[in-house]
Amino acid sequence: MRGFKKNMWLLAVVMLTGLWAVSPALAEDKPHYGGVLRVALAGDPPSLDMHQEQTFMVTIPMSTVYNTLVMFDPHQYPKIIGDLAQAWTVSEDGMTWTFTLHQGVKFHDGSELTSADVKASWDKIVFPPEGVVSTRKSLYQMVKSIETPERYTVVFRLHYPAASFLSMLAHPANFIYAKKYLDQDINWYKTHTMGTGPFKLQEYVRGATLEFKRNSDYWKKGLPYLDGAKYFIIPDTGARAKSIRAERTDVEFRGFAPVEVESITAQMGDKVMAAHPGQPAHWGIAVNVDKKPFDDVRVRQALSLALDRYEMVKTLGPLTGLDTIAGPMPPGTPWTLSPEELQALPGFGKDHEANLREAKRLLAEAGYPNGFQTVLTNRAVKLPYIDFGVYVVSAWKKIGVEAEHKLEESAAWSKSRLTRDFELLVDPFGFAAEGDPDEVMVKFTSSSPSNWGRFKDPMVDQLFERQKVERDAQKRAQLVHDMQKRVMDKAWEIVGLWWTRVEVRSARIHNYEPLPSHWMNRRLEDVWLSAR
Amino acid sequence: MAIATRPARPGERPQALPRHHAWGAIGKFVRTKPLGAAGAAIIVLMALTAVCADLIAPYDVYEINQQLQFTPPSLAHWLGTDEFGRDVLTRIIYGARIALFIGLVSSFLGATGGAVIGVFSAYLGGKTDLWIQRLMDILLAFPLLVLALAIVTVLGRSIPNLIVAIAIPVIPRTARIVRSSALSAKENVYVEAARAVGSSHLRVMWCHIVPNIMAPFLIILTAQLGSAILTEAALSFLGLGTAEPTPSWGLMLSGGAPMYAEKAPWLAIFPGLAISLAVFGFNLFGDSLRDALDPKLRHRT
Repeated sequence: MRGFKKNMWLLAVVMLTGLWAVSPALAEDKPHYGGVLRVALAGDPPSLDMHQEQTFMVTIPMSTVYNTLVMFDPHQYPKIIGDLAQAWTVSEDGMTWTFTLHQGVKFHDGSELTSADVKASWDKIVFPPEGVVSTRKSLYQMVKSIETPERYTVVFRLHYPAASFLSMLAHPANFIYAKKYLDQDINWYKTHTMGTGPFKLQEYVRGATLEFKRNSDYWKKGLPYLDGAKYFIIPDTGARAKSIRAERTDVEFRGFAPVEVESITAQMGDKVMAAHPGQPAHWGIAVNVDKKPFDDVRVRQALSLALDRYEMVKTLGPLTGLDTIAGPMPPGTPWTLSPEELQALPGFGKDHEANLREAKRLLAEAGYPNGFQTVLTNRAVKLPYIDFGVYVVSAWKKIGVEAEHKLEESAAWSKSRLTRDFELLVDPFGFAAEGDPDEVMVKFTSSSPSNWGRFKDPMVDQLFERQKVERDAQKRAQLVHDMQKRVMDKAWEIVGLWWTRVEVRSARIHNYEPLPSHWMNRRLEDVWLSAR
Repeated sequence: MAIATRPARPGERPQALPRHHAWGAIGKFVRTKPLGAAGAAIIVLMALTAVCADLIAPYDVYEINQQLQFTPPSLAHWLGTDEFGRDVLTRIIYGARIALFIGLVSSFLGATGGAVIGVFSAYLGGKTDLWIQRLMDILLAFPLLVLALAIVTVLGRSIPNLIVAIAIPVIPRTARIVRSSALSAKENVYVEAARAVGSSHLRVMWCHIVPNIMAPFLIILTAQLGSAILTEAALSFLGLGTAEPTPSWGLMLSGGAPMYAEKAPWLAIFPGLAISLAVFGFNLFGDSLRDALDPKLRHRT
């Protein structure tokens, strides 16, 4: 009996000890309310209107304020789920999409969201009024009209059944705004915020911080978990990395260079997590074909030939994450050009000395035997813009092209891009949805607002038109391959390198997975922080 | 300043200064001002480096070499290589050109502009002097770097704009000092005499005032040179000066140096030493020059 009692006591002690050890771990699986997520952000948003901007500096902070019609599942990419839309149907011919909205969704000013707000927002994106910029308008060229037959129903009618339509709709930049403010002033959202999202903008101190506080009336009950989010504007890449290391910020949502990630993880150990979610963007050079000598294909080809991309990836890969050679379509997809196809294109052959000789010959033939002077306009962001620009400017010297490396702050660079105030421009492009050719290759069509060089190639336009309606996957892939080869052969855009994103975050952040694009999954509605 | 002379006899030509007299002056300077001589030696070394960069630089300043990324100092690369595999010594050598060019031009422009304003202000006097000096007060209220920063932000980044941005803050500093010398020179009898015989204002200023402000002008010029080099480095460091891949000392400090400080500390050490040495040299030389030229500090026999 005494032995039995002793064993029971022992068992009780062991069980209690076990429970005590396990309970923190169990508790960590349960979301906590509270805490403010601190984010390091590379710069100020040029404006607050995502429809009119093309930078992560808007998407990353402002996504917390808004909802979209549908979205990529933050936990099961690339699955698309409803956001403001609770359900949708598509007609048999694929030309009519009907979305049913959630009811009782409130804007931060208490007014109810209806289909009129969704239509007003989408009209601004797809059919922008004169003088209003819509940088992704071309992604929605399949949309014929947007109708609101009922208070909570929105109908999109298409010109043609586009396989990419739902994916384009889920693009994270498609914030839904309130119609009444758009009616007041179509540019109201450049300097104001009014959304239905989990957070409200509390304060914005330019050059310093953006602070968001919890929307306690958020229509998704029980969310968000965080009390708020604070974005610290830290333009210097090294300083952003140091803010993570000093635990003054919890996450940097864009990405660090591999060499920087190495230092951070070596120092911080299991306090941080590093993820490699994908290759969402490419860095190349846009060429303003209206400025001499860039109207001459030989000059453009020479500039491409002068870049030894195989050496470039070895140099820039560890410094910036620009580590993959491919055409304009993302690597590792059915649309990716094969190595054989690539090597036949100017600047992608492996014999660099031969490429340099050919570049000089082309320049001489074009009337520039001694090269020429030009200006490469670039964004004053170290990674990878400046480093990419340094490599390119240094490489062009070998063929006698002396390019002044003109650095501009983000807002000024964005304006130079929009107003075409450049000769050559460091040009990032990529995807924030699924990387469908409709999203990526539209940039090279003559009517695209993001065709910064404003080149017009009827063959490129034709290939795009054919691929967008082609239902046979193989035929479509071939058309996309042909389109890429045409763009690169004519050097309408000087294709550079693809960027592998590495995102570092505090291990205190839960229920969050980085998605391929740094634009995605920035709402933070179901993210929570464990205690320090 | 009065110099004892006798009138020249008809047909007599002025005699050239004996060569040994100039060397003697230099020798005397070296003996009496060893620190100033050291400063002068640094300046001469820097100038020679800048002028002969193409001859003495061991490597191409723009050549990127992936296999040499982050090479520590070695026999082949005395000061190591940077994140692009470029030789740091070569970039420091060419950086001396940028530093000297921008430093010289901006401090010369600023000092000359300031001298002109100072002379005019002192000579004209009255309300003109009052207004000019109040304008100088406003400019002097801003620290040199802050004013340069504001100007280059407005003008935009380019080498000419950088020169203007560094020159402008030098103007009031020079004007104030030159004005003091000009005020005392203006009181000399020969100035009054020159006016009495009908010399124009410009002639009086040029022939009788300007020679008397040359000493303070030269002192300010050399003192501001060091400061101008430091300002250029600071503005480049802040991203408002020259842009990569141009080899500028300040840019070398702001580029890869902070990001790769743990991996490659030489990226920060050597450009920093170059800037320090240049500024130190100009300051030493400027101090000694001031001692040599300031009549209150000179011992006359």
